[in-house]
Parts: sequence; C-alpha cells; structure tokens
Amino acid sequence: MWRRAGTAPAEVPRGLCRCVILSLLSSALWATPAEAQRPLTVQGARSLTFGSLLAGVNKTVLRTDVVNGGQLDISGPGRASVLLTFTLPASMTGPAGATLPLSFGSNDGGWSPPQQIGTQTAFDPRVPYTAPLDQNGKVSVYLGGTAKPTANQKAGSYSGTITLTVVVLP
Amino acid sequence: MRLALGIVTAVIVGATGLAGQGVMIAPHAVFIARGARGGSVTLMNPDTAPVEVSVEVFYGYTATDSTGQLTLRTVEHPDSTQPSAAAWLQAFPRRLTIAPREQQVVRLLATPPAGLPDGEYWARLAFTAKAGQLPVGGVTDTARVKVGLTLQVRTVIGVHYRAGLVRTGLSLSGLRAVRHGDSVVVQARLERQGNAAYLGTVHGTVVGPSGQSVGEFHVPVTVFFANEPRWAVAIGSAPAGRYQLQVEVSTERDDLSQEVMLPYPVVRDSVEVAAP
Repeated sequence: MWRRAGTAPAEVPRGLCRCVILSLLSSALWATPAEAQRPLTVQGARSLTFGSLLAGVNKTVLRTDVVNGGQLDISGPGRASVLLTFTLPASMTGPAGATLPLSFGSNDGGWSPPQQIGTQTAFDPRVPYTAPLDQNGKVSVYLGGTAKPTANQKAGSYSGTITLTVVVLP
Repeated sequence: MRLALGIVTAVIVGATGLAGQGVMIAPHAVFIARGARGGSVTLMNPDTAPVEVSVEVFYGYTATDSTGQLTLRTVEHPDSTQPSAAAWLQAFPRRLTIAPREQQVVRLLATPPAGLPDGEYWARLAFTAKAGQLPVGGVTDTARVKVGLTLQVRTVIGVHYRAGLVRTGLSLSGLRAVRHGDSVVVQARLERQGNAAYLGTVHGTVVGPSGQSVGEFHVPVTVFFANEPRWAVAIGSAPAGRYQLQVEVSTERDDLSQEVMLPYPVVRDSVEVAAP
C-alpha cells in the first residue's frame, strides 16, 4: 500500500528508507509525552484601550481594532474547546465613589485561529461561550467595548476588574 | 461642570502591558489513582511582574446544553449520588505569589472517606490569577486622571480520582446528519457506561456516492454522564447526491497520556446524510 502512495522512490536505497522511517517513528513516539503535557496558557496580548475621552462623549473600541481592541491568546490541548465566561463591569469606580460607565454589546466578543484578527467569529461576551482550539491547541479571543463618560465626569482615578474564566473542555 | 471638558483616559487592561494576568498551568487535567495520596499542578508565571494566584476546589463536570454546546455544570452542594471529590480534596497552598518567570507547585491532598465505593470521583480546580494595578498608557495629564482596569484570569481544570476498580464504556445512539449548504451538521447521543468518565475521540467522515471522503472531523470527548453534542463538518462544494456519515469513537486522546486512558472497544455507527 505504501509503495502505491509513492513515498519511497525506487532509486532510494531500502536501508535508507528504513532509517528515515525509524527516525520518524521515534520522533512520533517521543512527541507523544510532550503533547500530553502541553500546558494550558491564557496570556494577554493587547489591552483594550480607550485612550483619551471627552466628557459626555461615548467612545467605542471595536474588537477588530488591531491597536486598541483587547486580545488574549489561549493555548492548550489540540482540537479541544474552552468555555469562555467574561465577568464585565458596568462601570469603573473613581474618586469619592464616582463612576465611569462601560458597556459591552452582543457583538463585542470574538475569536479566531491565532493571530487572524481579521477572520473573527463574533460572540456575546456577556454570556458564556464555547470556542474551539485549533489542531495545535490555540485560539485568540478579542474584546471590544464602549466607555461612556458623563457630561460632568469627575476627574481622578477610575478602576475596575474584568474577569475571564476559561474552562478546559471536554 | 468645570470638569465637563476634562479629558478622561481609560484603559482596560487585557494583556502584556497587562503583565501577569495569566499563568501557565500543567497538566490541564489531573488523574489520581487510589493509593496515591494526591497529585500536583505546576504553575508558571510567564510575565515580568509577580502574579497572585488563588486556588479553589469545587464540584463540576462538562455536559452539553440544549444546543449541543459543551458547558460546565457545577453543583455547590452535591448530594451523595454525585461522584464528587470536592469535599475531600484539598489544594496547598490556596494562595500564592509567583515571581516573574518562576514556577510553583500546588499540591493536591486526597483524603477520601473510608469505604468509598469503587469508581471515579471528580472535582474542578480553579486558579485565579490577578495582576497588580497596571499603569495607564498614553496619559499625558496624570495629575488629573488615573484610570485603569485590572484583568483577572480564572482557569478551570478537571481532577479525576480513581478508587478501586474503574471501568468505562460508551453507547452511541440517535446519530443523525443533515446537510446545510457547505456543511453537514451532526448530532448524536453519547452515554457513558461503567463507573468512570469516558475519555476518547470522535472521528467522523462524510463519504460520497463513490466512496470518497468529502469531509471529516476529529473531536476529543469526555462523557461524564450523557452528552448530546452537535458538530459541523465542512464539505465544501460537494455536489448534490447521496452521502453517508461514518462515525467512530475510540479511547484515544492526543492530549492525554495513554496511562490514564481506560480501554473500551471502538464504537461505530453510520447514517445517511439527510437533505435540509
């Protein structure tokens, strides 16, 4: 059968073929434990950045924005899936309890094979979503959103927390 | 209103400038056999800033929802009918700080109750990594405005504790396949047998009238109780005609050591692909 596949040209010495095959088999065998121990990594790649805001003027950052959109890269078992659950703040907290509202829409989440920001599949980051890892166990996740400073937005420090929960499936 | 024209700079952090929002975790699933007192998980901080990590143990398992998507089902107070290891599995330490580029080991100690029946018991480990407050980039007037968000990453992995004689099995039923444009949508019911989760891989092939493959998929599966997954297989611009879906489920996994796999014969089924 393998001759029919044409992988061993007749002029190649049979001994050499054996060596190559054994070498490949050896590589495959040694590759298995490494694959089995592939760690799970969730790594931030880029901030979701709103830049300068004018009081009273909303600012939206698209998940497809290659400069300001948020991006996280996940790696794990090949062809597995990960359940993504964002916990998104409705606002950031500032001085003397002042808040700066944030909003996230049904189209503000996206995923793609690694580093292919232009080929995203959209999802709603406000609800849990299952994204597939590719055959190499990788996926990139993107996040956009809107900052909504009020007309009398108080100056000072504003802070908050976004939590991304990643569950390895299956 | 004197501040109405003030400029607010907001940065929601999500990454490297985002130092340390995540950790590298290995392995991504823990298997503990009876006789072993526990296991371990290695955490590595790949970033250049310290990261604080908290560890929690709870009971949960994956299952499919009504749309066939996998989801995590958690039970806060599992009763005795649930094979939960959460009550007697402890992680040490539960809080730790990992220095940049360093790694630390979290030990798992299992203290199962006496007389625990044979079988597999499950828990989930959640590692919550929190970076420090991040500096705000691009702020020119820091005296007036300091704004930033912290990103937490909570990573959840599974733990399987095997007590005594464990065995697994799988029944495949309700296989159906419907063509939708350039894809075939596949659904089936996978029901676990035995007393341990079924770990395996589903390999599906769409075969054309002349016996040639026009599309295939490989998907790892873990069946804790019963799943009704839904998969889509791309078949491109395959012409109209009679197609058959052939499915094979085997206890092979690329991502897990063979040592932890429980054997079971290959399960096969096939069905004609229906028109939409």
